[in-house]
Amino acid sequence: MNKTKILLNGLIKENPTFVLLLGMCPTLGTTTSASGGLGMGLSTLFVLICSNVVISMAKNIIPDKVRIPAFIVIIATFVTILQLCMQAYLPDLYDTLGLFIPLIVVNCILLGRAEAFAAKHTPGDSFFDGLGIGLGFTVALTLLGCVRELLGTGHIFGIPVYPEEYGSLIFILAPGAFIALGFLIAIIHAIKTR
Amino acid sequence: MELTVSPAPHIHGNLTVSQCMYNVIIALLPAFAVSLYFFGIGALIVTLSSILSCVIIEYLIQKYLLKEKPSIGNGSAILTGFLLGLNLPSNLPIWIVIIGAVAAIGITKMAFGGLGNNLFNPALAGRVFLLISFPTYMTQWPVPGASRWSYTDAETGATLLSKLKEEGYQWIDQVDITNLWIGNQGGSLGEVGAIALLLGFAFLLYRRIISWHIPVSIFATVFLFSLALGLGAEGGNLQDAHIWQGAFDFALIQLLSGGLLLGAIYMATDYVTSPMTSKGMVIYGIGIGILTVVIRQWGGYPEGVSFAILIMNAFTPLINNYIKPKRFGRA
Amino acid sequence: MKKIDSTFWNMLWSLTLITAVAGGLLGYTHRLTEEPIARAEKAGREKAIQEVIPEYDNSPIDEQQTYTVRNEYGETTAIVYPAQKEGRLSGAAVECSNNTGYGGEIRIIVGFNADGTIKDYRVLKHEETPGLGAKMGEWFRTPKNDQNILGKSPAKNNLQVKQESGEVDAITAATITSRAFLGAVRTAYKAYAETMKGGKDE
Repeated sequence: MNKTKILLNGLIKENPTFVLLLGMCPTLGTTTSASGGLGMGLSTLFVLICSNVVISMAKNIIPDKVRIPAFIVIIATFVTILQLCMQAYLPDLYDTLGLFIPLIVVNCILLGRAEAFAAKHTPGDSFFDGLGIGLGFTVALTLLGCVRELLGTGHIFGIPVYPEEYGSLIFILAPGAFIALGFLIAIIHAIKTR
Repeated sequence: MELTVSPAPHIHGNLTVSQCMYNVIIALLPAFAVSLYFFGIGALIVTLSSILSCVIIEYLIQKYLLKEKPSIGNGSAILTGFLLGLNLPSNLPIWIVIIGAVAAIGITKMAFGGLGNNLFNPALAGRVFLLISFPTYMTQWPVPGASRWSYTDAETGATLLSKLKEEGYQWIDQVDITNLWIGNQGGSLGEVGAIALLLGFAFLLYRRIISWHIPVSIFATVFLFSLALGLGAEGGNLQDAHIWQGAFDFALIQLLSGGLLLGAIYMATDYVTSPMTSKGMVIYGIGIGILTVVIRQWGGYPEGVSFAILIMNAFTPLINNYIKPKRFGRA
Repeated sequence: MKKIDSTFWNMLWSLTLITAVAGGLLGYTHRLTEEPIARAEKAGREKAIQEVIPEYDNSPIDEQQTYTVRNEYGETTAIVYPAQKEGRLSGAAVECSNNTGYGGEIRIIVGFNADGTIKDYRVLKHEETPGLGAKMGEWFRTPKNDQNILGKSPAKNNLQVKQESGEVDAITAATITSRAFLGAVRTAYKAYAETMKGGKDE
């Protein structure tokens, strides 16, 4: 299969956030700031690539009837490794994302890609699928984080754009997450259908 | 789009959309006059800028985004703007009013498909959007009559309900209920004058713009629920006439303060977002009443009318689904 | 290689193999990261302590003491990190929490000078509303009106919000948070006062 096509498929055509609407819990929970969104996106990217490659390598020794527990164990292993490493070497990022890192295990994007792609393709293709979907997720989360941080606090990545007192707090709270995501999806849909 | 038409007979209402809107606007004028008297120039600036920005935003969205014929003439944007203005403190800076108008018209009304398709009351959603976004500005209320000629620098104080929440039940002894009737209390600029709001209610009933079901069931629920709470707080010895007096005062204060009258009469009754049958309306009203008292009594905010109405707005399709009008000719 | 069938023995050895490899990997990572995690946690704590009590030559973390404080909020555990300079107590950082915040627990660390005045404070953990209660990290250190609590002593000043006839301006529109925050400060002082007493007895 064409590697560029697999990559672009994940990034644009089947973008997990804007098109498939998967993994909404971390999407809405961690995007209160651009850096939070980026951190969560990259964490998911790492786990997704690792689990995709390992699952596609091991697909022949996993009997069909126990494939779900096997996939989950593999995903959970990488998530825990990520969590321990982050706690040790990036404690500041861990403080912001803390609660959401273990939740990557149950992020449906990972199991979805394992089922729909990695279990049927070669490790090389699975790597590019993980990269594409992971980057798509990272871009979407960072974009949403930027919009929410800008509208909510007047900053992007902590850099002030306009005075903080003019920010609408609702955007860094839960209702604003839904509103911002809805409008982003609408805008992207409008651009794509034009 | 699939159109469902209920079986005959159909009653043709004589009212057009715009007549209806302008009648509601007329009914709001006494309350607006009261706010002008107590809050002065600030009330005028906030209301006018709210109306103007709502109309302009609706026009721009219809003309340039949806590319359809603008329908500003039907008065619905004017009414939304007027109601939004009446729901804001009179010292609110204009730029916040404009953001509120964007939330009301852009997010709550036009994004759902314009008049008739919105799930939530636009003016209230705009107010709640601002309350969550700019809590500092939205919880500073000008003292009535203190500084009529100053706008954003007006002298501010707490509302009766937030005082009640902070100081506790015993504080009601210090409340002069006459002030609540005439509107001499802190609050959103249109919600203060009870008599003026009830005058508008009478006008709307007389012109048959709204029916009594929703407002009256809200009033009754809030009054009875508060009365029960008041009796509980007084100690619960029902033989003592003095206790009944205290609980009655408490319930009356709950009825006359905050946004209850404004919300129940003018916003809970919005055709688009309230149930269609009278039985449904009563259920909807009772729901709003209970939620309001629960939020006021146990919630984080001192006032809960706007949240209560928005929550019950979300239940309206469900109520409409379960409570259908009786078929003609059958028992 | 052909995909293996779902027979009982195949499932058994496949799952056993996967979990065994996973377990081994995790055990190895855990051993590798155990020490850095502990170090990072200690460094984080140390940084917070340094920020509220700048000068000391002992190791407050190793000399920490835990106190149970009883007051109007019930029983609270407070950790006191004593700071010593040339063998004499020069103040302490006290870490404690209060559960009556708007969003639940507020955890702070307060630094006291030897005379009991507040040197500085940091908010370690909270669930307060952004833009409202969350402003407490700056609000009570800003010298404006009667907001500031630095340099004041809970023993001499009435560190309660003005709504409770204290002398501190509450955060605008966040009285509940302010109340809980000042409650935590008073709890911290009580724990600090206990330490001072303990110090004299020795």
